[in-house]
This record gives sequence, C-alpha cells and structure tokens, in this order.
Amino acid sequence: MSSNSISRTADLMVTAIARELREGESVFHGLASTIPHIAIQMADRCYGKNLNYVNITGGYKMHPEELRISTDGDNLFKGTKCSFNLTDIFDFAARGRLDTAFLGGVQIDQTAHLNNSCIGPYAKPKVKLPGGAGSAVLVPNAHRALVWRTKHDTRTFVEHVDFVTSFGNVDKVFTPLCVFEKRGGKLELSLLYPGVAYEKVVENTGFPVGENYAVMEDLTDEERACLERLDPKRNRDSEF
Amino acid sequence: MSKLMDLSAAVAMVQDGDTVAFGGNVLYRSPVGAVKELIRQGRKELHLVKTAIAYEADLLCAAGAVKAVTAGFVGYEGEFGLCRWYRKGVESGAVRAYENACYSVITALRGAIYGVPFLPIRGMKGSDLLDAVGFKSVTCPYTGEELVAIQAIAPDVAFLHVQEADEDGNACIIGPSYEDMTIARAAKKLVLTAEEIVPGSYFAEDPHRADIPAVVTTAVVHLPGGARPCAVSGCYDVDREELRAFLDGKTPEAALAAAGIEGGKH
Repeated sequence: MSSNSISRTADLMVTAIARELREGESVFHGLASTIPHIAIQMADRCYGKNLNYVNITGGYKMHPEELRISTDGDNLFKGTKCSFNLTDIFDFAARGRLDTAFLGGVQIDQTAHLNNSCIGPYAKPKVKLPGGAGSAVLVPNAHRALVWRTKHDTRTFVEHVDFVTSFGNVDKVFTPLCVFEKRGGKLELSLLYPGVAYEKVVENTGFPVGENYAVMEDLTDEERACLERLDPKRNRDSEF
Repeated sequence: MSKLMDLSAAVAMVQDGDTVAFGGNVLYRSPVGAVKELIRQGRKELHLVKTAIAYEADLLCAAGAVKAVTAGFVGYEGEFGLCRWYRKGVESGAVRAYENACYSVITALRGAIYGVPFLPIRGMKGSDLLDAVGFKSVTCPYTGEELVAIQAIAPDVAFLHVQEADEDGNACIIGPSYEDMTIARAAKKLVLTAEEIVPGSYFAEDPHRADIPAVVTTAVVHLPGGARPCAVSGCYDVDREELRAFLDGKTPEAALAAAGIEGGKH
C-alpha cells in the first residue's frame, strides 16, 4: 500500500507520534495500542520529554525493560511508585486534567468522527467491531485526542462514517502514509512521510486532503538507534 | 464463618437471565474457571458486564448463553483479533450489544455502589451510541447543564479471580487491579476464585492489605489456574496455544471442545 516497507512505515509512524508529544504533558493510551505505547517510550527515553504517562494497568511513568505487543499487562505496572488506575484516569480526564489521549478509529471521516462500533447499521451490523473502549468520553474530555490507524485506504478514510462512536477534540491522525491535522473542523494532510507520493494519499482518502502540507524530516541516526534499542523485537511492526 | 465453597455451588448462585460481571481486563485475570462452570451448568440469557471483555464473552456466546453484553470493548488484543462468537451473535441478532464507553460501565457500577438509579457522566455527547443504546440525558438542577445520565447496574453476581483470599472473603490482588474493586462493591453477590487461600492473620497484619473487603464477599472458591488461558500476574502468562485452539474452532462445539467443554452448546 505504502511505497515504504512495513518496518520503515512503523518507524516513521512511531517517530512522527513521538515528536508530536509535548514536554511534561499528561498522556494516556489504552489496550491494543502498541504503536502509541512505543512512541511514548521513545518520547521519554530518546527525547527526554518526561511525560506524565498513565495506562490502563494503573502504572505511572512506566519505562519497562521489555516492551510487549499487549499494552494492558503487568509489565506496565510492576515497579510503579503509585497506582493510578483506569477509573482515576477517566476521572482525571473528566475534570479537564488529561492533556492527550491516544485512540484508534476503524473508520474516520473528514470531520474527525471516529467509528469503532459497526459497519452497517448498529441494530443489524454487517460487521460488529470491538467498540471504542474509552473513546466516547476521552475524545471530548482530553484536551486533545491523537488518533492512529495502521491502514490507509478509502474504506478507512471515508466521506461519512457508518456510525459515530466518538467526536470531539481530535487534533491529529497518524496513518501509514501521513499525518492529518484538524484545521477549521476538518482533517487535512499536514505531514507526508518521506518516500510517499502525495497522489498516494489523495487516491487512498475518501475526502479532499488539501495541499497545505510539509514532508516529514526523516529519522536521524540517533532516532534510529534509539528506537532499535527500545524495541529490538520490532513489536512496532505487529499492528500492520 | 467460612465462605469457602466448591466451584459448582458458587456458580449455582447464578440464575438464567441474570446480570453477571467479571473482573480482570481482556486477557488478564479473567475468571475463566467460573465462566466454564456457568456453561457446564447450562445457564442461559445472561447479561454480561465488564469494561473490556474478551474470552469470557466469546466462550459464553459460543455456548449460546448470552442475551446481552454491556462493555466498552469486546475483543482480544494484538494477534488474537476480534471475538468471533460474540460477533456472530450480534450480527445474527441473537446477542444484544449494549456498547458503552469503558467509563460509562464504571459509572453504571458506581451508581449501584452509591445506591442511586443513575449518575451523570461527562462526555459521550455527539456519539451515536446515545440513541443506538438508549442512553438518556439529564439537566443539572443547579447549573442547567445537560449531561448524559448513566443508569446504574448492580450485577446479580460478580466473579473476580484473585491471587490471594482468606476463607472470610478478604482478597489481595497482585499487579493491576483494573475495575475489580468497583465491581466487588457494585454486585449483589460476589464470588472470588483464588489461586491461594491464605490465613486471615495475613490480612490482620496490615488492614490495608485487602483490596476486596470480606464485607462484600459472598463466596470464596479455591481455584488454582482459575484464569487460564488468561494471565495472572506473578502466577502464569497467557497460554497462547490453548487460546489459539479455541479461536481456531470452526464451529461453536469445536471451539468449546478445544476449551475443554464438551457438549456445552445449548
């Protein structure tokens, strides 16, 4: 799909997300969130961003030795100095304290509606999807939602989603080809990965992407080396 | 008085049509032993409640034991993908999906804990879940703000699998506790299955040690391996082969047989 290999794409996606995270901000990812998890580790351990990082297990500021594909197991809890569990995190977001939440979207449209619920009508779905987990509250309650999806095609990026699971403060969407940014209420192409043609994004997106974009700076040697140290087993490739 | 009993007696507290909650999260500390016993006892029309559920929902849906699922997420993580038998159940209309946000499941349980019929929640506005699932809204009598109102859910029976419990029903959870403490307090009846039964003196040494207070516990079952093939922190990891065998089952009967349940389909 992309003109880049899977491993190259995973490195670009993780790095784009890691660069996006802001020094000291509070940030949450949920389950089945391998790419955001590795990006958070990269932001902390390569860039020293000192994130107030929380996860489903209750672990706080966790930097586990060994990264796993699963993102709600005890490796993200063992050794934490305090337990701040999922209820605490949702409450934290509800009172306006959570800066950034990572959420997925099986279908995403130009107004940044996310669908994680169903393809076809809810009452009689063609495909029942797993559900949005925390997204219906975190997308509106976190200051910003960063969305990632490891597929970029016209079945994912659609004109209108079949069902709105969540809507709110989506800021950016990270794909295997590019980064979309919400501008004036609409998602537009903001960053194209090196090695990806603009036309490729246009062809694979079900809405107009605009022309106001930059090309992402490639990974530096330091970033490459750091990512390799962090995730030598390449768990980051597993989502593709 | 000891609340120790065998698994079949504890699970027999569940009636057809009951609302049943499970502790743990996705593939961690799921009370699988109790779920398999529910299937063996032929329970039907169950309403399952959990924030993020996987194997329990898939097993019970394969057995035709489920009428509805209230959850924020129904699926495995990573390589294991979607819950196939849950999906088939919902897509055929046999199972009703009350899709929530995980937070609204927690809020529903908190409503039960607080003894109130509903609690307002921040968020969910703009979501089609409101109409599709039938969430209603409420106006704050003080500020006039409109909020989504989450109806309380008091599970008839909740099952938690823990590492350590005493015979009175005090329990200690090692590693992530997920929503277990909330579920324990919201349920009308609470069944603990435990890897190990420890003496009460263990909890008396430090009264803050018990994550689950015996006050809310109905039954304790000694059930080592009671979460397999899911993982229990400090005890065992996910048994990928056993899980894969279930997921590879082409029919509900084959899947259940692979999970060690013969003739489980009603």
